[in-house]
Amino acid sequence: MQAELPHLDPATSQINVEDSAEQIPSAILSLSRMLLTLIIALLMGALVIWISGKNPVEAYRALLQASLGSRTAIANSLLAATPILFTGMAAAIAFRAGIFNVGVEGSLYLGGFAAAWVGFTFTTLPPLLIIPLSLLTAGIVGGAWCYFPAILRSRLQVDELVTTILLNHVAILFTEYLVNGPFLVPGLANAMSPQISESARLPRLLPPSQLNASFLFALLAALFTIYLMTRTKFGYEIRMVGDNAQFARWSGINVVSVIEKVMVFGGIFGGLAGAGQVMGVHYRFIAGFSSGLAFTGITVALLVRNSPLGVLLASLLFGMLRSGSATMEIMTDVPRDLIRVLEATIIFFAAIEFSNLLWRRHREH
Amino acid sequence: MNIDQLTNVLFAALRVMTPLLLAALAGLISQRVNLLNIALEGLMLFGAFFAVVLGAKFNSPLLGLFFSIVFTTLITFIYALSIIELHANLIVAGLAINILAVGLTSYLLVVMFNARGAYSPSNLVSLPHLNLPLLKDIAILGKVFSGHGVLVYVSWILAGLCSVFLYRTPQGIHLRAVGERPEAAETAGINVKGIQYLALLLGGVLCALAGAQLAIGDLTIFNDSMINGRGFIALAAVFFGAGKPSLTTLGCFLFGLFEILQFRLQTSANIPPQLPQMLPYLIVVLTLTAISFQKKFTKRMAG
Amino acid sequence: MSYLLMKSITKTFPGVIANDNIDLEVAQGSIHALLGENGAGKSTLMKILYGIYTPEEGRIFFNGQEIRVPNPRAAIRLGIGMVHQEFHLVPSLTVSENIALGYELTRNGLVDRKTQRRRIEEVIEPFGFKLPLEKAIADLPVGVQQQVEIIKLLYRKAELLILDEPTSVLTPQEVDNLFGVLQNLREQGKTIIYITHKLREVKKICDFATILRRGRVVGRVRVADVTERELANLMVGEQVIDYIFPRSRQVGEKKLILERVSAVDDRGILALKDVTFSVNAGEIVGVAGVQGSGQSELVEVISGLRHPAKGKIWLNGKDITRSSPRQRREIGLAIIPEKRKEQGLNLNTNVVENVISTRYYKSPFSRWLTLFERPAEKFAQRIVSEFSISMSSLKSKVENLSGGNQQKVIAGREMIEQPDVLIAAYPTRGLDVSAAQFVRETMIRRRDQGGAILLISADLDELFAVSDRILILYEGQIVGETNPDETSFEKVGLLMTGHFHAS
Repeated sequence: MQAELPHLDPATSQINVEDSAEQIPSAILSLSRMLLTLIIALLMGALVIWISGKNPVEAYRALLQASLGSRTAIANSLLAATPILFTGMAAAIAFRAGIFNVGVEGSLYLGGFAAAWVGFTFTTLPPLLIIPLSLLTAGIVGGAWCYFPAILRSRLQVDELVTTILLNHVAILFTEYLVNGPFLVPGLANAMSPQISESARLPRLLPPSQLNASFLFALLAALFTIYLMTRTKFGYEIRMVGDNAQFARWSGINVVSVIEKVMVFGGIFGGLAGAGQVMGVHYRFIAGFSSGLAFTGITVALLVRNSPLGVLLASLLFGMLRSGSATMEIMTDVPRDLIRVLEATIIFFAAIEFSNLLWRRHREH
Repeated sequence: MNIDQLTNVLFAALRVMTPLLLAALAGLISQRVNLLNIALEGLMLFGAFFAVVLGAKFNSPLLGLFFSIVFTTLITFIYALSIIELHANLIVAGLAINILAVGLTSYLLVVMFNARGAYSPSNLVSLPHLNLPLLKDIAILGKVFSGHGVLVYVSWILAGLCSVFLYRTPQGIHLRAVGERPEAAETAGINVKGIQYLALLLGGVLCALAGAQLAIGDLTIFNDSMINGRGFIALAAVFFGAGKPSLTTLGCFLFGLFEILQFRLQTSANIPPQLPQMLPYLIVVLTLTAISFQKKFTKRMAG
Repeated sequence: MSYLLMKSITKTFPGVIANDNIDLEVAQGSIHALLGENGAGKSTLMKILYGIYTPEEGRIFFNGQEIRVPNPRAAIRLGIGMVHQEFHLVPSLTVSENIALGYELTRNGLVDRKTQRRRIEEVIEPFGFKLPLEKAIADLPVGVQQQVEIIKLLYRKAELLILDEPTSVLTPQEVDNLFGVLQNLREQGKTIIYITHKLREVKKICDFATILRRGRVVGRVRVADVTERELANLMVGEQVIDYIFPRSRQVGEKKLILERVSAVDDRGILALKDVTFSVNAGEIVGVAGVQGSGQSELVEVISGLRHPAKGKIWLNGKDITRSSPRQRREIGLAIIPEKRKEQGLNLNTNVVENVISTRYYKSPFSRWLTLFERPAEKFAQRIVSEFSISMSSLKSKVENLSGGNQQKVIAGREMIEQPDVLIAAYPTRGLDVSAAQFVRETMIRRRDQGGAILLISADLDELFAVSDRILILYEGQIVGETNPDETSFEKVGLLMTGHFHAS
């Protein structure tokens, strides 16, 4: 047997499809497909709730209330959406190029730790210096982390999916080691780093919510990504490589470089997502602080078929779900893990949908 | 290290290797039909969950094991259906199963037992351990090989059966043909889809056993992070062994040994546990790199 | 009554008639060649016989009975077997496991290796095969693998064997071995249909030949009664000059030079051997050759998508052997690739995005990071009108255009800015007459403006009509160069099929 993995060629990749920011009829089609997937997911969730003996309607109502019912609720939703905006964009860009970059979680941890390190090491720097420094460091670390699997893929055709999943574990373990070892704060129950200095903390936007300036950064990043994908040379290259890498190659586009850039980009955004959590919410690095934030980003990207505008909207939606689910649990006894179930359902249907689309395309030729 | 310590280490390594081996066999069979099974992690978690929960419900670990197999295989069937009939993307569907496993098990844990994070039913005993009649009295071998949980022995038998299956039965040969050259299998009249289902479902059963061993093999406990990447380490073992059951088993043993040594070292030499834990993942990445490197090199040589 | 009779077989695919009312008659115990160029319809016809395709019309009679072949399993059951160009062998299984695949003998659930081995030996004994039954296929040379494929058919009791271009992967010694095997089979009463385009082999081993051209039967001969020359003639047909372009009036300096270029294909086999030629400004050089002679690799090497193992390439006076595809384009290269949909277009997007793929990074299409829509649209509009591409709107997806229009998009993109050197690989493949003519006229116009064009084509009419010089590529080597006004289809055809004594 070949000890190799089925290599997923971007040209026939089943994960990236059309940029839904196209003509009206196809946009409506895409939108309805997304809505359908969402509805199915919600129905699945309702089924699960009902089987466990609770009332789905009550649960969803509580969810809605908790996510949108008051100014604080909305702020909390935006707060929860912040890292997802970053990770969703990271995933969408990679997927659009036909690359399965699942390594953003690792970048998230490493970037988060890097930001924390800057924050608790350079305690004398003023905010105007330390905040950009922290973000920069986080971005660089996160991007560098994804560079390694990137070149393995672009130059040696080593499947990036498996390498990035495995490297995630390495990153998680490594940061866990860091806060349990060299940067251990004695006397604390959970493994966490020292607190970052006051100057390194991002200002709160709407107390009592923890919504902070990282949301603005995330929004900026999202808008930048939208611009990138629709109006720049790089966005064009990404789309051409994702649609037909052979065509891109024959036209003279440097596909190797595009692949690498796309993955590093994802790493940078992952790092920034982690930094946002550290600098805006926890004010320190806590081992295991991300409960699958990068995977939610992947879910979002899959749901909206990699459209950056869609990622923006869907991230807000998932922020709502995440933030509302904690309250939903308190009010209705429906555990917040339901959100994971919804995510899984969405991913599952996205998996089927894509291939059907591809299959239809094959038939026409 | 004296003899006693050595036998302890080996005994523990054999114990720890079991879930890895079972999952690796699952991964191996899938890999042989060219279906990369990313969902091992999630299926193991399901296996563990059903074993504990249903074992506690019926107050019998064996029934827990049985139902674990049934339900995990059911979920595997849905997974297989989506991939084989609906042509779902293999990777994305696997990802979905993994996330579903974490979400659903945590959810049900809260709903059923009001337990967040971990659940350890007091009424449930673990699966039986066997003191092999003649072997247990032999000096060193007895200490190493006797007294293991039943699934440990089962895993060895299955590893052997796997070899026999793949290399000496027609179905096994067909399976390998489907994975290597599906056109050849088709013209030979082999039911390719049937073989793919078989491979994935067998994998489901094995993952159920793996999860059950972790959950009710020694202690009876479930927590949502108990699989801890073993599903991917198992894949690592599969790549190591290049799909051969014998080498894969060796790989699992080595990983098991790693895990045990890492525990011991932690207490005696103060090496932080995370660092050795990172090794398997790094080694796989390096292995994959080496394989691709070698291919590129040989192609260039051919010119 | 003949042993095998395929009567009035017609099979069409979208846009092309692969088999047009074909009659094929094969006598029992003979080796019957199915001869023709690529695209002539040989493979299609045999795939119909083997159950992979179903014909729209026609009937098949075998052994005196009318048969229906819905799938390969049925064909095997009827005693018809096929050895494809790419073997259907499982690399890690042994020879005997491959032979018995799907027909294993078991004992107690396990494969009964001993009995199976004996059974196989019984089957192959009369043919004098000597095979290492317990070795894995992956460890055996190609020639032996092919023998295993043949034995697989014999094991399944095939009486009629179809071999599809069997020597395309063999060394000369292995070819001789194969011929020995085939003669053996014939002596044992088997019937063989031998698909090929190689005249030498037809003369050496075949008894009869049916020649196909463009989906029709153009000849049925007893091989002993004809010469290679006559066969070549039948294969390529009479020269029909229904249009001809004036030859180039002024040939300038060398724009593209290949010097001793050798290259390896994806399988690791040498596909180009010591290729040396040049293309001058103001001329069209045509490349003739049967498919698989190295044309794809030639295009890839010149385009920069494949590194040559040896040799050098110059473009516009600069050494581009190590240059990237984009650098080559910057120096003055344009490419119309072989595969329109996979290499030449992004079907998922519109015309505008397709035509800027080679120049989007330059002004006026972009500056710094930004891509400007309007210049791109204007550019696309210019191409659409100059090349008369018909479409509903600039924004509609290219996959909705007809094949001809798709090709015009590619041609337009590549030719609109007067490239110094143009490589055109099968540029009129699948196009209707007017679209094809348009493309040819555009190439002539470009040539007259001083462009250097390398045209690779499977259409001899086209090559003769358009080229100032024709190179013939055979098995990776340039085996001849002629002036189309001073040669004939027949001579070129002979060179294309490996017959080197053209006078």
